[in-house]
Amino acid sequence: MDVQKHSVHTLVFRSLKRTHDMFVSDHAKSVALDEERNPSEGGVHSMALALPPSQARHDTSRTGASVSDIHRHAGGAERSHAHSTSLMEGGGTRNSALTRKAPTMPKPQWHPPWKLFRVISGHLGWVRSIAVEPGNQWFVTGSADRTIKIWDLASGKLKLSLTGHISTVRGVAVSSRSPYLFSCGEDKQVKCWDLEYNKVIRHYHGHLSAVYDLDLHPTIDVLVTCSRDATARVWDIRTKANVHTLTGHTNTVATVRCQAAEPQIITGSHDSTIRLWDLIAGKTRVTLTNHKKSVRTLVLHPRQYTFASGSADNIKQWMFPDGNFIQNLSGHNAIINTLAVNSDGVLVSGADNGTIHMWDWRTGYNFQRIHAAVQPGSLDSESGIFACLFDHSESRLITAEADKTIKVYKEDDTATEESHPINWKPEILKRKRF
Amino acid sequence: MALRIFLPAPTQLSQDQLEAEERLRVQKSYSTALVSSHREPPPYGHRKGWVPRSLEDFADGGAFPEIHVAQFPLEMGRRKKTSNALAVQVDAEGKIKYDAIARQGQGKDKVVFSKYTDLLPKEVLNEDTPELQKPDEEAVKELTEKTRLALEKQVSQKIAAAMPVRAADKQAPAQYIRYTPSQQGVAFNSGAKQRVIRMVEMQKDPMEPPRFKINKKIPRGPPSPPAPVMHSPSRKMTVKEQQEWKIPPCISNWKNAKGYTIPLDKRLAADGRGLQTVHINENFAKLAEALYIADRKAREAVEMRAQVEKKMAQKEKEKKEEKLRELAQMARDRRAGIKSHGDKGGEDSEARERDEIRHDRRKERQHDRNISRAAPDKRSKLQRDQERDISELIALGMPNPRSSSEAQYDQRLFNQNKGMDSGFAGGEDETYNVYDQPFRSGRDMASNIYRPSKNIDKDAYADDLDTIMRTRFAPGKEFSGADHGQRRDGPVQFEEDPFGLDKFLEEAKQHGASKRPSTSSRSKDDYHDKKRRKE
Repeated sequence: MDVQKHSVHTLVFRSLKRTHDMFVSDHAKSVALDEERNPSEGGVHSMALALPPSQARHDTSRTGASVSDIHRHAGGAERSHAHSTSLMEGGGTRNSALTRKAPTMPKPQWHPPWKLFRVISGHLGWVRSIAVEPGNQWFVTGSADRTIKIWDLASGKLKLSLTGHISTVRGVAVSSRSPYLFSCGEDKQVKCWDLEYNKVIRHYHGHLSAVYDLDLHPTIDVLVTCSRDATARVWDIRTKANVHTLTGHTNTVATVRCQAAEPQIITGSHDSTIRLWDLIAGKTRVTLTNHKKSVRTLVLHPRQYTFASGSADNIKQWMFPDGNFIQNLSGHNAIINTLAVNSDGVLVSGADNGTIHMWDWRTGYNFQRIHAAVQPGSLDSESGIFACLFDHSESRLITAEADKTIKVYKEDDTATEESHPINWKPEILKRKRF
Repeated sequence: MALRIFLPAPTQLSQDQLEAEERLRVQKSYSTALVSSHREPPPYGHRKGWVPRSLEDFADGGAFPEIHVAQFPLEMGRRKKTSNALAVQVDAEGKIKYDAIARQGQGKDKVVFSKYTDLLPKEVLNEDTPELQKPDEEAVKELTEKTRLALEKQVSQKIAAAMPVRAADKQAPAQYIRYTPSQQGVAFNSGAKQRVIRMVEMQKDPMEPPRFKINKKIPRGPPSPPAPVMHSPSRKMTVKEQQEWKIPPCISNWKNAKGYTIPLDKRLAADGRGLQTVHINENFAKLAEALYIADRKAREAVEMRAQVEKKMAQKEKEKKEEKLRELAQMARDRRAGIKSHGDKGGEDSEARERDEIRHDRRKERQHDRNISRAAPDKRSKLQRDQERDISELIALGMPNPRSSSEAQYDQRLFNQNKGMDSGFAGGEDETYNVYDQPFRSGRDMASNIYRPSKNIDKDAYADDLDTIMRTRFAPGKEFSGADHGQRRDGPVQFEEDPFGLDKFLEEAKQHGASKRPSTSSRSKDDYHDKKRRKE
């Protein structure tokens, strides 16, 4: 963690302000009660008194002398906690007039840290892509050794190897509506494999250059692929016809995502723009130019109507349907190759230098950084993450790495809020003036 | 008007009043000026017959509706040549819409982010806010259906073009439409109020080829205007950062197309030498040790052998010296007249000695003949020295033609032609005038310079090269003018003894037994001694 250099004055002021902002609008706490009992003490002090003990402990560790002094003076923390529930309503009505309408500082949700629990090796080249079967029994990986391997999710054993691509396999997807596996590679081929016969049954011909990513529409039988020729193409699965060619990007389209709601196709490109497309017309709805560097990855939140994009400068969160910017998640200063999101609100970003950062989706709090060691036999520079994915139960994180292994992570069950406390130091933003 | 009198004077005048005051002031200045520079339009009501002709006639205002002439105040409204200037637009609050240019070719509903507020992060929202919720199932289903139909239509169009020709499809049955025209009257529609129209879809000929040519290439239309860039411009690169990203040129170990000469350290720069740790096998050290030991042992052996040989040689030498000493003693004894052995033995020994001498001399003569026959190039020492190169002679230190003890004068001093002030050459450094004469001026130069003549063969073989080449040497055949001596004892034929040396020698042998010391022996001895001394 880099330590920012500030003067002591700035640091103390900021920590005080943080605490103040966090707890100034705690309506649940019985602020008015304390004022009645101890009218001598100022309003600010009494507000600080009415804290539940655990949070107070956090405060003392962070803010220093001033708050602890107040706490010692009062000594009534237990009392306030016991009474807080019964006097909640009363406190609320009395407080509404007293408390300022200050914007609430968000508190990040606690997530248990993730740890590595399995390393699967078997590929002979970088592992570039992963997809998990809808029934959560097995997962597929595509690699630079031109093969597609199917692994058992529970045990990590290899079930099947499929060959047919002539160059690196860059994207794999398993259809939930039919027993098909789709793969695309740097050899301009997009293949449809029938999993009952383990054979290629269709080719989608039309891309002019390497195909970097593909995605399936959840409700319509349509496949979208994106390529180095700056286009994304929409294919009808059954007839192999190229329904739409989505042009507009000026550089390689690196990533594409499909969803059932509007906008149905989102693409991110190396010209640092993200485009939201109208699938019916085959035209761009919105162009988002906020990124400064190539956008290599996109992820759609499973429950919310939001998405996140990852690039070498920042990870940005956006709202649908117009792509309104929500916030930046900054701190992962590396080329971000992949993002994945959990229903619990855990966002994982995997970078080209092998580091994984875990974020809380809502607040943007980075609660964990992992840099797994490379497989023995690999150089240290051969660490990089090309794809990461949560399985359908959202309890396992599978990453595809540059040291030719697949690493599986799971949540650490022994960790608690106390053992891994939240160390949330947000930047003090200038609030809404506009 | 009456109210204005009662109210106090306004402290802050409105815009209109200020303008009115300005005008009054201007009008007042009119009267003082000699020539009025402004030309204002006549006030309302007095404009009959007046036509604004120039821009100044409008004077801030607009067109005059009562003057029925085409007017273009501020040049507005004229049919200008095509200009792509966008008119300034104002939004509902009265602020100018600066992003009109970003929305130029698009519908007004298109989402374009162009304001600063669009790139500020929003407040962290609670999970339950309605903005973050996905649209409900029904809306999604509807959208899906719509999309699916649209895509199917597209796909079927694309496929139909490739499908084979089939029979003409059945048209939909005829539709009847009741139409009420707007123009009604007895004359139109022969009095009827309404008409019934039968509408039928026109048949498509299944065998018809495509009607339009689609192979023509036309340039693409202009793209939609680029989206405004919603981030700060990239930071300037410092020199240090630029240096960090410098990539050294690639120097291949195999190819060198332009044939550059590249220093060795650059050639090996990318070799990865610094990254490996060099592991040397121990056996190299062992080998070196073993070689060292073997070398030492060999040297010791050689030394010992040399010593042994030296000792042997010394012993030999001593023996030889002993022998020589004995011989010398014997000679001395004989000279002194002392007989070392008995008489007979003495005469025999003398004869033996003479035989030995003769043998030795014959051997020497044969040796010389052999050398001259075998290596005719091996010249005598004198000849060899004569033919040496100057540098060799100098190296050997042999010649020094002027190694006389008397003083030597530089011959340039005795220069006859030039006067006294010749010889210094004005202080020039470049002239090489250390020596006055060449070293061996031409004495041997001519002979040292080998000039093969055109008729080498003639020099070597005289004129009958051809005859020589053809005729073979026949040892039995004699020369034309030679004696026909049949007797052949050896390669050289000896004639009859002219001087009687053989007889003399034979006599000497015979008389060797009977000693005649005074004349023969002494003469023989003298002869022998002289011979010996000579040699």
